[in-house]
Formats: sequence, structure tokens, C-alpha cells
Amino acid sequence: MRVLVIDPDPARAALVAEGLEGIKPLEVRQAATFDEREVVEFAPDVVVIASDSPDRDTLESLREASHNNPRPVVMFVDRSEPGLAEQAVRAGVAAYIVDGLAPSRVRPILDVAMSRFALTQQLRGDLAKAKADLESRKTVERAKGLLMKERGLDEDGAYRLLRKLAMDKGRPIGAIAADLLAFAGILRGDAS
Amino acid sequence: MSGLVELRLGFIPLTDCAPIVAAKALGFFEEEGLDVTLSREVSWATIRDKVTVGALDGAHMLAPMALASTLGAGGGEAVPMIAPLALNLNGSAVTVSVALAKMLRDIDPEGMAQNPITARPLARLIERRRVRGEAQLTFAVVFTYSMHAYALRYWMAEAGIDPDRDVRLVVTPPPRMVEQLQSGGVDGFCVGAPWNAVAVQESLGEVLIRASEFWPGSPDKVFGLKADWAQAYPDEVRALLRALIRASIWADDPVNRPELIDLLARPEHVGASAEAIGRALENEITFHAGAAGRPRREHALWFLSQMARWGQIGFKADFDAVADAVYRPDLFRAAAASLGPVLDATLVFEDAATTPSAALFDGIAFDPTDVAAYASRFSINRLTL
Repeated sequence: MRVLVIDPDPARAALVAEGLEGIKPLEVRQAATFDEREVVEFAPDVVVIASDSPDRDTLESLREASHNNPRPVVMFVDRSEPGLAEQAVRAGVAAYIVDGLAPSRVRPILDVAMSRFALTQQLRGDLAKAKADLESRKTVERAKGLLMKERGLDEDGAYRLLRKLAMDKGRPIGAIAADLLAFAGILRGDAS
Repeated sequence: MSGLVELRLGFIPLTDCAPIVAAKALGFFEEEGLDVTLSREVSWATIRDKVTVGALDGAHMLAPMALASTLGAGGGEAVPMIAPLALNLNGSAVTVSVALAKMLRDIDPEGMAQNPITARPLARLIERRRVRGEAQLTFAVVFTYSMHAYALRYWMAEAGIDPDRDVRLVVTPPPRMVEQLQSGGVDGFCVGAPWNAVAVQESLGEVLIRASEFWPGSPDKVFGLKADWAQAYPDEVRALLRALIRASIWADDPVNRPELIDLLARPEHVGASAEAIGRALENEITFHAGAAGRPRREHALWFLSQMARWGQIGFKADFDAVADAVYRPDLFRAAAASLGPVLDATLVFEDAATTPSAALFDGIAFDPTDVAAYASRFSINRLTL
């Protein structure tokens, strides 16, 4: 079975393609954009396309213009498994199969695509959080430096003061440090 | 937790998403008790699928898409949709590359000097290319079920060009039309604003006929909802329509145009130059005036006549029943009437508005009382039972 993955996000496409290699027998290809010649030449049995690919409408129009295309594609609507199409749409995946292919053969492919899409989203979220954590640590360091300078505290004392303020206010220490730096800036006249 | 009803609406980066984007930016949705999140989508198929599964509560839609979805045209699942408001009239156009425009002018200077330009010069060029064994010209539309597809097909067929045999007709997403014209991937297209103006502005294309010339007051986009959702949430539907009607009035007012252009030009909305966006707003698109927002059953029936003409649906379909199930002027009127002192009699009373212009650019009048006869009067067709 041949599967074509069309996704403008190359990292995500690679993840999906890698995941699909576990299902045999398969030949998987990935592309950032839809190319009619490529589709005709590769003749995929299944096309998995990201909903954020603007090529979806082009791909979908092939079912109307089958005289131009030896491999008509139809939208995958598996009525035997209620909720599957809905799940895929919400995950941001659409799948098209060549007319005649049993929908049950698409299920594992769609499952892989959905889980890899979710994984990509989670990885991106983790990365953003890691960046924010790093940023927060830098902010705390700078606030500590400010307190050491202005209040004559040692490093440990500065940190304990920040932690006490955070506990009193019930807010994260990074947020307290950011406020402190912002207010110090205002007092110095940065905002004027 | 705002205490407001949370809804998600989808749109495609096109000028006619204006009422939806403006209703959000100006706080009209919020004033109606709705906390609306906008979702910018890049394909019509995704809009349709998300509305189908409820990932979107409503959306900017191609009017024929709501009809096609309801009918399950093209082998898709039949999902009843409703169109209780028309977002705009006019705005699309047929544009060809400057190279093709030059060839057309060379072969038929008189034809190209006419206003509006028919497809006769194109027909002559196509015939010459056929005799010489040259490749077919490629034209793009935005979706199989769209005003753009039917307008381009009608315009070509009027000059004797069979759009399924004499040219290669492809589907290309609106924001990609201009680059396709530049790369030579397509020779011409029919798309909505602002993409025709963008092609002209970048000296890549020339407009041959605008929607307002093709059919004065051409129907275009609608606000579409899944029928069962609309039935389950009538208060939300009314609140949405009230906000959209107010936004359409605002968007039509020339006083607000600079602000509207600025809003649409933003990358999270249309993301095109202010100049290109401004052009179609100047003298083409109408959002509200003349009861433009009222979904007209004549428009639904014309779309159905074209779907039948091109074999997308059988020509013995019950056109009236489909038109009345999908197009819901009753919901529009009720929302307009609830906006307080009667805004405009044409919005509220069925018989107060003038009937839409019946004749298209070729002078042939559309007769909504006999859709099947109209659909079968054209010699170039794909009628099926």
C-alpha cells in the first residue's frame, strides 16, 4: 500500500512518515505541497493531508475531474466507525483513499497520523514551556541581583525575599521577579 | 469564564470575511452575549468538515458549498447546512495573465475592447491553439462548488467554450492564485477579492470581467451553519445574525472604510496590501445595502441550476425544497426585526425589497420558477438525471 503524506510542516510530516513505517507493507512519501504529477506518478492508495495545508481543495477537486486523473480520490468517511472522521478533523488530519480501498485498511494509518499530530503539538508546547522556564530563571537571577545591590542582601537572602513575596502573593516566583524588575524600571524612569 | 456563550467561527482570508472579522473586532458579538473565537482556515474543505463535526459552530462559506453539503453532492456525506445570511454581493472576477491578455488582444482586438469582455476572444484563441496542436490553457477556480466555478464556466460556455473539454480547469486556494499566475501554473482564474486586485497591482494579470458585470448583484459568500446546530440553538443563531447584520452595516459605510481595510490587511485576517483590499471595497462589494445580507432563494435556485447544468446534481432534483431548506431569509428577517426600530423595511418585509436583477451579462434572464427548463436551455451542459 502506498501512502502520501502532504503537510506544510516538514517536521510533523517526518514524524508521521516514520510512524507509518511500522505498518507493513507500506511505501510512504511525504511532500510539503500537492503536486498533481507526483500524485499521478506515485499513485498513492491513501493520501493523508494536514488541514492546515491549503492544497486540500485542490486534492479534493480530483474526485470531480477524474478524466484528468487515473487515480480518483474520494474523501474518507467511514460510517462504520462513528466518531473517527470527527476525531481526525479535530486532530487536524484529513484522509483520502482511492476508490475501492477498504476503509478498514485506512484506520491504522489515520491512527498513526492523529497520534503523531498530537505528539507534534505536545512537543511544541513543551518547547514553549521550556523557553518560558528558562526566561523565568533569567528573570529571577536579575531580580536577585537588583535586590542584592539595592538592599545590600547576599544571594541567599535575596532569593529568600523573592520566595517570601511569591508565597505571600500566591504567585509564581518568576512573575514576582518580573514585577520587581518592571517597577524598578519605572522608578528609574524607563517608562516615561 | 466570561459568562458569555463561547462559539468558534471559521473564515478564509478573503475580503468578504469582513462582517465576521468586524463583528469580533468591534465587540458586536460580545454585546450579543457571545464570546467568539475566530479560526482562520486555509481550505474550504476544512471549513466544511469542521462545521460538520462541530469543531466550528459557523463559518464564512461559499454559498454553493452549503447547498452541496446538504445534498451530499460529489459522493460526500449529506450534511444539512443552512445559510441564514449572505455575507456579500459581488467581489470576484475573471483575471488572466498579462501574456494571455496580450494574445487575446492580438487575435481579437474588437472583442477585447468590449465592456464587459466576453469569452469570444478566448474562444478564437483556443480554436487556433487546437489547430496548431498547442497545449490547453489552464484556468483555476477556488472550489468545485463555488460562484467562481459557475461564473467562469458560464462565461466560457456563453462563447462556445466547453469548460470541461476545451480548457484544463483546476482548483487552487485563493491566496495561491497570484503566484500560480506568476509561475505560469495557470493562465487565468476566477477568485474573490482581493486576489484579482493583487494580480493587477503586481502587473501579473488583467481583469476581463467582474462579478458585478457578469450578473449585477452577484451572490457570493454566506454565513453557514449546520442545520441541526441552528435548530438546537436558536437564540445563539439570532445573536450571531444580529451581530453580523450590525457589522455588515458598519462595513458598508464609507466612513469606516480606512478602519475596515486596516483590519482586513492584518496578517491574522486577509494579510494582503491595503491598496488591493481597498480596490474591491471601493465600487464592487456590498455587504448590507439594498438588503444584500438577505439570503435570496433566487440565488440558491440559480446555483442549483448550475449544479444541474454541470452534472453535479440530477436536473430533476427538487430545487425548491433544497433552496428553502438551506436559504433561510426567515431567520435573517427575524434577527433584523429584533434589532430595535426597524432598520430598513427591505430587511424585514419580504415584499419590500426589489427582486434581484434577473438577467446575466448575456441578456438571458434567469427564471427561478422553472429551474429545470433554465438549466437545460444551454447547449453546452452535462445534464444528468
